[in-house]
Amino acid sequence: MTTWKKEEFDNLETTNVLKKSEELGLSHEQLVEMYRTMVKVRLFEEMADKQYALGKVHGTMHLSAGQEAVAVGAGFAVNKGDYLLNHHRGHGHFIASGADVNKMMAEFLGKDTGYCRGRGGSMHIADVTANNLGANGIVGGGLQLAVGVGLAIQMKKTDQIVLTIFGDGASNEGIFHESLNMAAIWDLPILYLCENNQYGMSANVTRVSAKTPFKGRAAGYGIPGYYIDGNDVLAVYEFVHKAAQNAREGKGPVLVEAQTYRYFGHSKSDRNLYRSKEEIEYWKTVEDPIVRFGKLLLEAGLLTEQKIEEIHAEMNNEIEESVKFAENSPEPDVNDVMEWVYA
Amino acid sequence: MPTPFIMPKMDMDQEYVTITNWLKKEGEWINKGEPVIEVETDKIASEIEAPESGILAGILYHANEEAPVTKVVAYILKEGETLESAPSSDQGKTPVAQTPSQDLNQAETSKQDVSATPLAKKVSADLGVPLDQVTPSGSKVTRRDVEAFADNMKEVVTPRVCVPATPAARSLAAQRGVSLEDVVGSGPRGRVQAKDVPMKAAVSEPVAPEPVAATIPLVGKRKRIAERLTASYQSTPHIYLTVEVDMSAAESARKRINQMADKKGQPTVSMTAFLAKIVAWALTRHPKLNASLQTDRIELLEAINIGIATAIDDGLIVPVIHGIDKLGLREISECLGYLTRQARNGALTAAEVAEGTFTISNLGMYGISSFTAIINPPQSAILAVGGLVRKPVVIDENDTIAVRPMMNMTLGADHRVVDGADAAAFLADLVKALEAPEFILY
Amino acid sequence: MPEITYREAVRDAMVEEMRRDETVFLLGEDIGTYGGAFGVSAGMLAEFGPERVRETPISELGIVGAAAGAAMVGMKPIAEIMFMDFILLALEPLMNQAAKARYMFGGKATVPMVVRMPGGSGTGAAAQHSQSLESILMHIPGIKVVAPSTPYDAKGLLISAIRDRNPVCFVEHKLLYKVKGEVPTGEYTIPLGVADIKHAGTDITVVTSGIMVQKSLAVAQKLSQEGISVEVVDLRTLRPLDTKTIIASVKKTGKLLVVHEAVKTGGWAGEIMAVVSESEAFDHLDAPMRRLAGKDVPIPYNRFLEAAAVPQENDIEAEIRAMVANKY
Repeated sequence: MTTWKKEEFDNLETTNVLKKSEELGLSHEQLVEMYRTMVKVRLFEEMADKQYALGKVHGTMHLSAGQEAVAVGAGFAVNKGDYLLNHHRGHGHFIASGADVNKMMAEFLGKDTGYCRGRGGSMHIADVTANNLGANGIVGGGLQLAVGVGLAIQMKKTDQIVLTIFGDGASNEGIFHESLNMAAIWDLPILYLCENNQYGMSANVTRVSAKTPFKGRAAGYGIPGYYIDGNDVLAVYEFVHKAAQNAREGKGPVLVEAQTYRYFGHSKSDRNLYRSKEEIEYWKTVEDPIVRFGKLLLEAGLLTEQKIEEIHAEMNNEIEESVKFAENSPEPDVNDVMEWVYA
Repeated sequence: MPTPFIMPKMDMDQEYVTITNWLKKEGEWINKGEPVIEVETDKIASEIEAPESGILAGILYHANEEAPVTKVVAYILKEGETLESAPSSDQGKTPVAQTPSQDLNQAETSKQDVSATPLAKKVSADLGVPLDQVTPSGSKVTRRDVEAFADNMKEVVTPRVCVPATPAARSLAAQRGVSLEDVVGSGPRGRVQAKDVPMKAAVSEPVAPEPVAATIPLVGKRKRIAERLTASYQSTPHIYLTVEVDMSAAESARKRINQMADKKGQPTVSMTAFLAKIVAWALTRHPKLNASLQTDRIELLEAINIGIATAIDDGLIVPVIHGIDKLGLREISECLGYLTRQARNGALTAAEVAEGTFTISNLGMYGISSFTAIINPPQSAILAVGGLVRKPVVIDENDTIAVRPMMNMTLGADHRVVDGADAAAFLADLVKALEAPEFILY
Repeated sequence: MPEITYREAVRDAMVEEMRRDETVFLLGEDIGTYGGAFGVSAGMLAEFGPERVRETPISELGIVGAAAGAAMVGMKPIAEIMFMDFILLALEPLMNQAAKARYMFGGKATVPMVVRMPGGSGTGAAAQHSQSLESILMHIPGIKVVAPSTPYDAKGLLISAIRDRNPVCFVEHKLLYKVKGEVPTGEYTIPLGVADIKHAGTDITVVTSGIMVQKSLAVAQKLSQEGISVEVVDLRTLRPLDTKTIIASVKKTGKLLVVHEAVKTGGWAGEIMAVVSESEAFDHLDAPMRRLAGKDVPIPYNRFLEAAAVPQENDIEAEIRAMVANKY
């Protein structure tokens, strides 16, 4: 089932990175760095899957392979110090915001050196000190926390914003509406980024949503809404950056819906019974965000085949190191199981 | 690598199946889809098919053993494979790396040596049960037999305390060296309160000077029986009514029920259980017999809780089947069997002897043909049941004489609660039901 | 000491803390011009302005979720839920977010927030505006639950709750709002997790909280004239429980009656009994522990039915008399 509507995208497809990056004020180094980060996310997810298959992972996980352009485009478009509240398919968002993959992999394997010292796992990675307020296991759970963070920013009068990332599934939770309404009446500095990967677990977005794209719902709250190609990393950067500016200037929240696709199943128990091999194959080949961006960078002469290979090798090395780091890390002390219930 | 033969899970919440038979031997070729094991769950008997083709090897659970589901029970070898390469995870047991023929021989030998399943042997070792003392329920000692034996050992070793007392009274009694059995409780249902516990243990009475063969100290349970019976005998005006009942129909009904039970492998029904069922029915029709006399009123009780007087080593105890009118014959029989075992082991709990509303005392097994019994206050009646005696009786209006199993029942009733006519009507219903039990059994 | 109402005591605590600490702010429905459904925040909008007395849409999930988010980044929100019954709309942010953030994130987050909620029956508000849901809140690790019974306790406990670094549910009984008591002007705190023996006694321990403290005290005073000595333990904080005080009292009296308005099944009385049963106080029990709680029924509208649904003074009196006389 095809549910994405290319003709409805608000962005123009990126065809010339040199021209586009000039418009966006991105340096060539930044472009390559974005590519490198996308590769890192992909390799992290593939390694996570491998670790799971090897029986090293205690729980489940939700992998974001295929959605790298959303994570990286958005991660590069906000400032250090801005707040992030994301969802449980969140590895990519953290990596794009500069998180340490060693601590992420350690958390994934439940180790004491992980971001949450083995208490959270894949679904609850957070780095509160770096203003990453945590991935949320409850669909839509972060949306209302974002309102509170927005209120705090407004009351403290800083120039930060909140980037809250949620999925197509969360858009049908009541909290989506309560959050957008409150943010809109108070002009809170919140950037709502809907990462529409077309499936809430097995439910196709058009089957469970009265009207798509979701950007239409922004009008109901009197705020701007955009529907963009989430596999075009520079398009994501462009719209998130624009929305962030809007929020930062005190003009209130913006809804950006990025159309993308996940390659792996919803979680490890998923056997992909609800979608066809052909569909998955189409996205993996024709629409793959890394392939698309890589091709543009090659055409612009910013990368060579050899450089691409080097980047892959370098990132692969980094991810393998993270596994070593995690494996060599101690398990949390079971005597500390009651620690941190209360402050 | 050998293919593990995994016992499939057939039902939710299922953990084990019993292997009743291996249709193939180790070393035999099996084809994928061909039935290999016969199993039984608590619901169904079923055949398990081979998941792959190959040579059956390394059987881990034999016939009459329980095998865990989702675990390996054997292996299937491809040409040229051996058991050594079998993985060691995901199975209840470690496979024995032997050639199939050796394994088979060993299984044969062990069968002749000891009459116990391998699992039973392991469990008996774990629980410290002497295997030679366990009576097998079938041809071999099984794990269930061993566990039942172990449970019995436990019951003998630690009889439970039955005197009702508050925790404070218990700890005080322990501190002061007082036995709670000797304390008269002032709390509800005779519960010993802290204030009832005397400062130190009562000094026992000096022994009578005359030589006696043996003495039975009048303390504890014996003493309470004595006090209670005296009080009842002295304060309750008893009336007694006796009937004789032809038990042919009841006997044959019980026989048919027990044949059915045998076929299903269920426990059989005793005459006492049978009688209790019918008495319970009669009590629903005669509430005055299921009543309690209080100082200013008679309470007709809603619950029907029949006590069954049971002789034990040091006296008499009356375990109670609560809510018996709501139970089927099979449940009554199971309940009675359990209570009798508990009584014999001295393990009845306070609740299991409390709140009786009517009592049946059956001395038929001692050859007594009829007797009277003393009411258990605050109940209002007790039924004394004699043994079956085959004797000639007139069976119809033509004065035909036939030999029939006859039984005497004597109802003792508190005349303050029950009139003679009430008692007679109750007995008449009992006789009617015993002579045509199908009316109430179906 | 001046006598003020429970309502004023709650307001005083909020006003004093907001003057002292600018990260403290209020959010809730109709708390501004209207002064809150029960008038608790009356006058506060004028002093602190609309940003710190933040009127929200009717959106309980939104109120508690926003409070949790703001608390995670350094604010100290006080959220008002108009009726305790409506907290059920906000259990997600309360139980899944606020309560768990610190633990899930390896001790790096703190969520200092207070959720105030008037609960309880007696106002004829029927089944959806009269519940006592504190047992539900007590079930979640990471949350504290406070339920004061007097104006003095209300102020001291609320100041502690605002300064606490954890999410605190602050349960106010509607019928207590107009109860008067002596309350000092100016700052004082009562630590969370410490019970208070409101009436000392030796024959029986009554463990209770909120409005039932007032009812139990009336009974204790009446019975003391007959020589029946009742010890009334006001828990004040329901989570964390002051198990020490409970155990010591039961060891002294040997008898325990737990009284609460929340329905019996699954109510916290069972928890108190379990605490005693697992402690050394067990060996001092001289009667079965008993509980007197709301009947297992939605609160009815009719005044007589409503009163019959929850323990009243004569119920408490009868129960104490029976227990002291060893009737159970």
